[in-house]
Order: sequence, then C-alpha cells, then structure tokens
Amino acid sequence: MKFFVDEIHESLNHFGEELCGDKVEVVRQDDSFVMVLADGLGSGVKANILSTLTSKIIATMLSEGGTLDDAVSTITATLPVCSERNLAYSTFTIITVDKDGYTNITEFDNPLCVVYRDNKPFYVNREQIDVFGKNIYVSNFMAETGDKIVTFSDGVVHAGVGSLLDLGWMYDNVVRYVDDIVKKGNNIRSILRDILNTVSSFYLDKPGDDSTVSVIEFKKSVKGTIMVGPPMKKELDYEVVSKLIHSDGFKIVCGGTTSQIVANALNEEVEVTIDYDSPQLPPTATIKGIDLVTEGVLTLGKAVQILQEMNDEDPDKRLKSLAIHKKDGASKLAKMLCEECTDVSFLVGRAINPAHQNPDLPISLNLKLQLVKECAVQLEKMGKRVNITYY
Amino acid sequence: MIVKVCVGSSCHLKGSYLIIQRLQELIKENHLEDEVQLKGSFCMGKCINGIPLEIDGQIVLQVGITNIDEVFEKYILKKGE
Repeated sequence: MKFFVDEIHESLNHFGEELCGDKVEVVRQDDSFVMVLADGLGSGVKANILSTLTSKIIATMLSEGGTLDDAVSTITATLPVCSERNLAYSTFTIITVDKDGYTNITEFDNPLCVVYRDNKPFYVNREQIDVFGKNIYVSNFMAETGDKIVTFSDGVVHAGVGSLLDLGWMYDNVVRYVDDIVKKGNNIRSILRDILNTVSSFYLDKPGDDSTVSVIEFKKSVKGTIMVGPPMKKELDYEVVSKLIHSDGFKIVCGGTTSQIVANALNEEVEVTIDYDSPQLPPTATIKGIDLVTEGVLTLGKAVQILQEMNDEDPDKRLKSLAIHKKDGASKLAKMLCEECTDVSFLVGRAINPAHQNPDLPISLNLKLQLVKECAVQLEKMGKRVNITYY
Repeated sequence: MIVKVCVGSSCHLKGSYLIIQRLQELIKENHLEDEVQLKGSFCMGKCINGIPLEIDGQIVLQVGITNIDEVFEKYILKKGE
C-alpha cells in the first residue's frame, strides 16, 4: 500500500443500553483498506444486530472483491425485518482505499462524512446513484499524505436534541466544529476525543442516541525499529546495532545494557537523565542518533499496559487512553509506536542479563520476550505491521 | 564532581529514585549545587549488591537508602573539601 491508513473509532452508547446500535468494521489487507460505519434502526439489541450484519457483510464482501451492488443486494435480502416498524434498515458509510491510495466513499443515509486536505476542508464531488431503490452517494478521490476523513453517525448530529439544544447539534455545526479542530493540526486520536467529549456534554452524559465517530488519516509508512536486549552472542552486537542505525524512521533502544552496546558501537555516550516523571519508572536517556532510549523490562511492561488500555474491550478505558501526555519512558515509547510508526520491527537479543538472576527481583528473560510478543499483538490490533527478529 | 547513580531495572526496583531524591536534598543542604553534578546511569553491571554510585570515576558499592547519608559525607563532602 502506498499509504498506511490510520483509523480510530469510538462509540457512545444510547443511555442505559449495553449494546451499541452503531458498528464500525475495518478490514485491512496487503493491498486494500475497507471501513464500514453502519447505524442500525433503533437502539439496543435489534440495532446492534442490524448494524453488525450490515458492516460485517459489506466489509467482507468488498474486501474479497465483491461489487457494491452485490453487497447492497445481499444486505437487503438478509437483514431481519423489525416487527414494530416493518422495516429492515441500517444506514452505512463505506470507505475503501486501494493500494495506490485511490479512495472511494459510498454513503447511504448516514450524515455525509467530511474530507480534509492540508487540514482544510476538501470538496469531494458526490454522485447520486440508485442501487435497488436506495439513494446512494458515491465519491472518489486520489488520497494524498495527511488527508483525513471524519465520519460520524446521526447520534452526533442530534446531540443534545430536546434538552440542551432544541434542534440538536445539527450537521452544519458539527462540520464547522470539526473544521476548527482539524485546522489545529491535532492527531486523529485527539480529534476523536474532542468530538466525542462535545457530544457527551451536549447529551449531558446521557446520550439519547448511539453516537459513533471514525477518523481516518492517510499516512506515509513510517518505520520504527526497537532494539531490546543484548544479543546472545557478543559477535552479533555490531550486526544488530548496524541494523538499528541503518533503519529508516524511528530508532528506539530499550534496556540498560543494550543502550551501552549501542553507544559503544556508535562511539557515543549514554546520557541518563535524572528527571523522573513518576517514581514508578526509571528515567530515560539519550544517545546521539537514537530517537528514544529507555530502560528495559519495567518500561516495556508499562508501555504494553498503555497499549492494552488503548485496545481494551471497555470503552471507558479506551476513551481515557486516547491522549498520552505523560513524559515518562513508557508513555513516550507507547506514543511513538502508536502515533508515529506504521511499521514496527523488534530486534530482540536473548542474552541472559546476570543482573536479573537475583531471585528477589521479579525479572526474567522470559518476561522480556513475553512483553515484546504482547506489544506486537497490541500494535497489530491497531493495524500496524510488526515483525520480530531474535538474536 | 560528577556523581552517577545507577538507575537500571534492577537498581530502580531497589530504590534509585529515593537515592537520587536524597542526594538532591543533601547537595542542596550543603550548597554544593555548583560543584556536584548528579547524573543517572543505566546498568553499571554491579547489580548483585546494592545500588552502585560512580563518583568521579570511582565506583562505590553497597549503597542504599539506609547508608546514603554516610556515603555522601564520606565520598562527596570530604572529597569536595
């Protein structure tokens, strides 16, 4: 893929409902990206089933090469009919990106999504077509680096209706608000957080409708290479360090002994700060030519915990983890991996650190390897390409 | 004078943070801010016994929060005079 399509979405459930009636489905393949945001009729279980079926069917069919006509006709034929309303209905927005960045937006009855280029509104020409009696808007454009697409369900447009705002937030106002925050150049996580916070406050924290926001950014692939632990054979030190320093993108070193190896190979010094952001974690260090130098297992463990929270099943935890402000090593590491890098390579050394042989200390080589694996799993959940090499 | 405190994983768990805090206090109390430069250092490879300090290149072992005041007096204060 020419671009890494970074996508993040989050929903606020209708007040009192355990299930959300909106559903976002993302399918990534080597040469395509598909995102579907579906909003099922009503709320609760019924809406959840409708939107899950809709998003899942469309995303699967399109990513397997099916046409839009096929997908829409399948949904029409499959969706269960609501007994109260005698309707089988779910709105949807589909965004597909091919390997060259050619982007197609297909919209049915959802609020129209907004596209940004250079953080300014970007006009896309929408063509109205008829598919099985449904009025569907289709638009295409060639994406460029930094383009963003913000998609939201009608719960966002109706935020505050009948209580705080007579007519709700209203589409034009939502777009104006999003224009303003995108203009500031914020990252997609903070854009998502700002919109949802506003929605939640308009609803006085009791959403009257499921509200979902998805934000997409087209990013150039950015590599991050992390060296963790000294190689098992000392002869390999130089090879691993040269892999690290000759890699493109961000260069990260985790581990005390490891940073010493890197500094020696580069003929530089490890400068360790004593500025603790929190006493829980050892401070970070600097080596000229390396973007981030941290201590090993403790920092890695905390970073994994942060990434896990970002992917947590509990939406409250996810929402809290949307912004990383802290300056400790683990937060910096998690932030760099999640916000900056699209491809992550771990160079993992398996030498046993004599320091960690102390039975009083809860550290083992095994733990470090487990942490790297878990870190990779969490990053993959975010759509990143990860590879691990052992030395 | 440069004083390095090991802040590697193992020493961190043994309380490097407290040592650094205490050293900062002691340096301030004795008005040595201009003379003594306090730095961190990742693993010095002496993890088995206490937290090591490196004072102008000399390694001092077996440092902990219980004896940091004595170590300060013996190795930093006396030397500074």
